[in-house]
Amino acid sequence: MSSAFERPPAYSGIWHPDAIEEIQEKAELGRYQIRGQATKRHNLPSFDDLVFTPAGLSRMPLEGYRERCDTEVVIGEGRVSRPLVLERPIMIAGMSFGALSVNAKRALGIAATRCGISTCTGEGGMHPEEREHSSKLVMQYLPSRYGMNPYDLKKADMIEIGAGQGAKPGTGGVLLGLKMSEEVAKMRDLPMGVDQRSGCRHPDWMGADDLYMKLEQIREVTNYEVPISIKVGAARIANDVRIACKADVDAIVFDGMEGGTAASPTIQLDHAGIPTIAAIAEAVEALHDMGKQDEIKLIVGGGIKNGADAAKAIALGADVVYLGTAPIIALNCHAPIYIEDYERLGTTPYECQHCHTGLCPVGITTQLPKLMARLDVDEAADRVTNFLNAMTMEIQLFARSCGKNKVADLDPNDMRSLTQDVAMMTGIPMVGLNGRQPWWTKF
Amino acid sequence: MANVETLVIDCLDKPTRDINNLIRQAADDGVPAVEILNTRARHNIGVGILKPIHLIYRGHVGYYTVGLCDGVTAEIHGSSGWGVGDNLLAGEVVVEGNAASSAAPSIRGGSIVVKGNAGPRAGIYLKSGDLTVGGDAGYMSGFMMQNGRMIVCGNAAKGLGDSMYQGQIWLGGKAEEMGSGVTEADAEPGELDAVLETLERHQIKAPKAFRKLQSDRSLWNFNKHDFAAWKDAL
Repeated sequence: MSSAFERPPAYSGIWHPDAIEEIQEKAELGRYQIRGQATKRHNLPSFDDLVFTPAGLSRMPLEGYRERCDTEVVIGEGRVSRPLVLERPIMIAGMSFGALSVNAKRALGIAATRCGISTCTGEGGMHPEEREHSSKLVMQYLPSRYGMNPYDLKKADMIEIGAGQGAKPGTGGVLLGLKMSEEVAKMRDLPMGVDQRSGCRHPDWMGADDLYMKLEQIREVTNYEVPISIKVGAARIANDVRIACKADVDAIVFDGMEGGTAASPTIQLDHAGIPTIAAIAEAVEALHDMGKQDEIKLIVGGGIKNGADAAKAIALGADVVYLGTAPIIALNCHAPIYIEDYERLGTTPYECQHCHTGLCPVGITTQLPKLMARLDVDEAADRVTNFLNAMTMEIQLFARSCGKNKVADLDPNDMRSLTQDVAMMTGIPMVGLNGRQPWWTKF
Repeated sequence: MANVETLVIDCLDKPTRDINNLIRQAADDGVPAVEILNTRARHNIGVGILKPIHLIYRGHVGYYTVGLCDGVTAEIHGSSGWGVGDNLLAGEVVVEGNAASSAAPSIRGGSIVVKGNAGPRAGIYLKSGDLTVGGDAGYMSGFMMQNGRMIVCGNAAKGLGDSMYQGQIWLGGKAEEMGSGVTEADAEPGELDAVLETLERHQIKAPKAFRKLQSDRSLWNFNKHDFAAWKDAL
């Protein structure tokens, strides 16, 4: 039975058991720690700090479970001959073949196709199975250029120039040798077994002027047919938006520090980049400053786990949300099955962050045939489809309750902040003030 | 255009898109060669060409010339901007002058020849194929090279071959500083002859001697006892 007067822990607040364990692990390994999933921080400002203020007497809601509520988003409309039409404001984020098994790629592709949304190759090239199963496929154009070739660029439905990711902004990808299969090595032109640390800087462009020319090159190769986005780890938002606008991209992707990964230096997960909610606020303001808010779509990712997060991101000004970790969890990540294999990794379901080892107990982030076989593609695709459907309905619930017949019409006035931090960051007024300044500011 | 031996394109009054479409159409029609005039260091001229054709550039060219191409051969009678031959899959590009930064970035096949000097990051992420530099190469050349062969007849600046995984670098002059994880190796029978044959074919004067450099594989996997190499790996 817990007591209201429990004795505080005897250990130091600085030399917490986690800090001690971390130091001792580094003393053993001689290198930084590496793990998968995302930051372990619990104190980040989040979408939970915002609430919707739905219709009452002053505004009429739509019938919550019935009336039509449009979810379509088009990227590159009026700009390219084959814009990317998304039936929902959701995209599956870039996750490489290598980080994920081919079965996971297949299942995500099947689910995304059913839902009329896109998947993304991630690093490592376009796997033929992914192209076959994804009706809308975004191809990432990354510094490493693994598997890059003009034929696959032409097969893509959108090109995403990767210039960083939220989990480790300013650093390239990591794929440890113990996770590499012959197929992965071949697609990346790498020898088997190397600890692959991808480049983070593109080999042939550096600044804003170069980027414009690089975009022109890719548009020439793809015959100006498909949209081009640029993905950046959320950090120096306003200036990055200005450069992306100058390069004339069709969409900008900001990946907040909550963004997922299959392998990253742990220290970067927790100490680099800015939270997704802050990134949206800054990006929207910068796009308005550039007068491009109606032309260039804003795609945001990083820690978005349900329809509330997505609807709030859209109300803040995002056009589309990127999902990576959430659909992976829907596939079966963290499922309490094969418990003994979690234990063998020294972890449990719900706590597992061992994607980097390639020993995924549920067959998602592995290249080992025995483990891959544990992911039934059809069942996994059904689970992801169900999750995406549920999430879409949640987004629509908020839109309808705020009286909007288009999800894209959600706006900042539909929300209030629960915390001062988020009120300052987003400009969304605090609850209880009806948009006023607090009374004490008059004195 | 089927009976035309050489199509002439004057870039002067044409947008880039039109120039590339004309080249693609010529390749589709089986025209063997295209002569490109008034290039004036324009960018992205001759990109995304996926059928065999020979391109003759009369003048300097800008960024990404013959980028993302397959099976194209080209002669550039001038110097080139950044990223010449970017991601080439097969074919050959000869630059008669110098090449700016990042010559032959991440090529996956074919051959890029720079008769003059190459700027920084020449042969960066080279995945397969050949890069030949008649003069000097700038810093970080051969960075993270994955395979293939790079020949530098002159000197190389700092960081030559840093973090290279596989492949060979043949250096005629001196390296200001070798990159991490690079070692000198003995030539296998026939390797040097192949290098000299490449130079002879392109009428590039060979230096007195070559050193063969390759990865020592120390950076393939982390080794806590070799911290100095990892700390300084570019």
